[in-house]
Amino acid sequence: MRFTPTELTEEELGLQQQVRDFLQEELPPGSHEPCLGMAANKDKAFSLKMAERGWVGMALPKEWGGSDRTAVDRFIVVEEMLRWGAPVGHHWVGDRQTGNVILKFGTEEQRERFLPAICRGELGFSIGMSEPDSGSDLASVSTRAEQTTDGWIINGTKIWTSGAHENDWFVCLLRTSPMEDGNKHAGLSQLLIDLKSPGLEISPIPFLDGSHHFNEVTFNEVFVPDINVVGDLGMGWHQNTTEMAYERGGPDRWLSPFSTVEQLLREAKGTELEDTVSDLFGELVARWWGIRNLSLSVARLIDTGEAPSIESSLVKEMGTRYEQEVVEKLVHLIDIEYSPDSDSLFERLLAQCVVTFPGNTIRGGTIEILRSVASKGLKGLPV
Amino acid sequence: MTEATGVDELVTETADRLFTQICDHEAVQNAEAAGAAPEIWSAFAETGFPWISIDEDRGGSGGTLLDALEVLRLVGYHAAPIPAAETGVLGGWLLASSGHEIPAGPVTVLPNGNNITASVSGDQMTLAGTCTRVPWARIAERIAILVEVDGQSMVASVDPKDCVIQPMTNMAGEPRDTVCFDGAIAPASPCLAGVNPESFRFRGALSRAALMAGAIEKMSQLTVTYTNDRIQFGRPVARFQAVQQHLVWSAQEAALARMAAETAGREANRGPAFFEIAAAKLITNQAAARATKACHQAHGAMGMTQEYPLHHYSRRLWSWRKEYGGDAEWSKWLGNAAVSQGAEGLYALVTGGSSVLS
Repeated sequence: MRFTPTELTEEELGLQQQVRDFLQEELPPGSHEPCLGMAANKDKAFSLKMAERGWVGMALPKEWGGSDRTAVDRFIVVEEMLRWGAPVGHHWVGDRQTGNVILKFGTEEQRERFLPAICRGELGFSIGMSEPDSGSDLASVSTRAEQTTDGWIINGTKIWTSGAHENDWFVCLLRTSPMEDGNKHAGLSQLLIDLKSPGLEISPIPFLDGSHHFNEVTFNEVFVPDINVVGDLGMGWHQNTTEMAYERGGPDRWLSPFSTVEQLLREAKGTELEDTVSDLFGELVARWWGIRNLSLSVARLIDTGEAPSIESSLVKEMGTRYEQEVVEKLVHLIDIEYSPDSDSLFERLLAQCVVTFPGNTIRGGTIEILRSVASKGLKGLPV
Repeated sequence: MTEATGVDELVTETADRLFTQICDHEAVQNAEAAGAAPEIWSAFAETGFPWISIDEDRGGSGGTLLDALEVLRLVGYHAAPIPAAETGVLGGWLLASSGHEIPAGPVTVLPNGNNITASVSGDQMTLAGTCTRVPWARIAERIAILVEVDGQSMVASVDPKDCVIQPMTNMAGEPRDTVCFDGAIAPASPCLAGVNPESFRFRGALSRAALMAGAIEKMSQLTVTYTNDRIQFGRPVARFQAVQQHLVWSAQEAALARMAAETAGREANRGPAFFEIAAAKLITNQAAARATKACHQAHGAMGMTQEYPLHHYSRRLWSWRKEYGGDAEWSKWLGNAAVSQGAEGLYALVTGGSSVLS
């Protein structure tokens, strides 16, 4: 394991400035309610505008509508969007992982069908991993796909499916052959499923504050054609693990409370609160600077063709805990009874952080699972 | 391929090999009991490592500040009981930047030298006052003292024989002596621009960040090895999720501390790096706290013994955390920098560091 320090080139700094200018123009401070990280609002019009500039699916090849840009370029765009609290929810999953999976494992036909549409910012994807009896032990998924003459018939249930009620497609990990003794990773495959398919039912699982992100998706004899199988049959576990590596270690794992902190400074400036928060800001900028450098070095490593799964797991585990620490420090220091309906934007954001951030160390693999992955890697064992 | 950090790989290899040979557990333990390790210093000095980053025509070994900091990182990694930072990037830097001769032996400096009174007459300085916590004063050939006289920073090169030295230690048993300067007279000369008490403070913090990054990494590696060797309930304790938490947390702090120290070094090697150094010292301070806690917990009772080497690193880290600025000093400095940027400039500070402050 080694995180090598890196820094942005002149060209990369130019991209950073372009994104900052774009945000300043599209979403000037005060004109929008900032979103808290990747659990951002879905605003298709905003996604389309980003796509016009080549900032969605930007690391995908030009022949499929992408911009052939690097993981570091994508890091820069994502970082600026998240720290601004921009509504990136619509294209988020397709941009971060589904595009990569289809490029890497999909057929030519699938690439043609999906990648240009992802890069245009048109398609929204959901991810189908967890089930009622399969959470952290993901390999135990039991939703079955049975082969028919020209496709697959699916029965079962997926849960915690973010955005299924708004998205277009569903990338699902399914059991395509029965579990064999001793090898639960075999017999799993990834299928692309149209969320409008007959027999597919989506029902909300209200979030603790009543908002609607999660869903339960039930399959009742849902037909999926053969052409929607991603990669080789039975290779779903491997593909899924690869996909998770794209999910981890990026700015979405450590920037979620930034808008809240920035707003505190905006509201505290010039008041007596300024002195109270000053030392805290010192600690926060230092740690953000440090974690950002680690995260950036992971992106640079990806551009050299490596798959830094240990490094990205370490960053994600640390980054998501840090997000919660930031909120705790704010709550501890700012002695007010903040309210979700307050006139103060800072109070509204803080209330939202308090209520929703426990999920940050759970989504995309709990920190307990990440520790297990990373600690094997520290010993030099396969993970 | 990974991007070069600008460190001469030969420096890393040679220093690591040297310290592996001469700074084993027993040697470090003996140095603590004896209060010095002349044979380790001699082997270190023979390589020219103490004077890296000081120009050859000034009596140094040449090379960059990055190379010097890499040596310090390895000094921390091996808990080498020598005044490496004091002789080179701190004391050597002060002497070279004021035209003093670089001696063949160790040099030390006053990390907290503000209670010295100095009167200058021509090119001589007469000193009075007592300084505490002077690293390795008992073995130093010169003490480089930085004072401001009428707004001008000056360095005096004091012969410790002219002082009264009372041996004291830090929590790791490293010499941190009390030095009484009353009546000492030493040659003094003005410094180059940019060498002043403020820049010295930052440079001291940078030296400690490098040492600390090395020590935290070593502690983290010891912990991975120990917990994979130690069998309880029929399996290595590293297989337990509760122990994995300690392994992961210490590895993260090691990575964070090294990243911060190396990035600060890179910027300092180029120019002003106040933000990066302040952030690196605060990060390594906090990383030291978190990592020592995690590593000790994972080692159980074994880590609490003198016979097992964990304490060489943990006790140094507890000491170094407080040298050249504890958490409060650097949080305050960084907090002022952050608040002065305002909300609109806050993220630019995180990404741009010192470049947006200048």
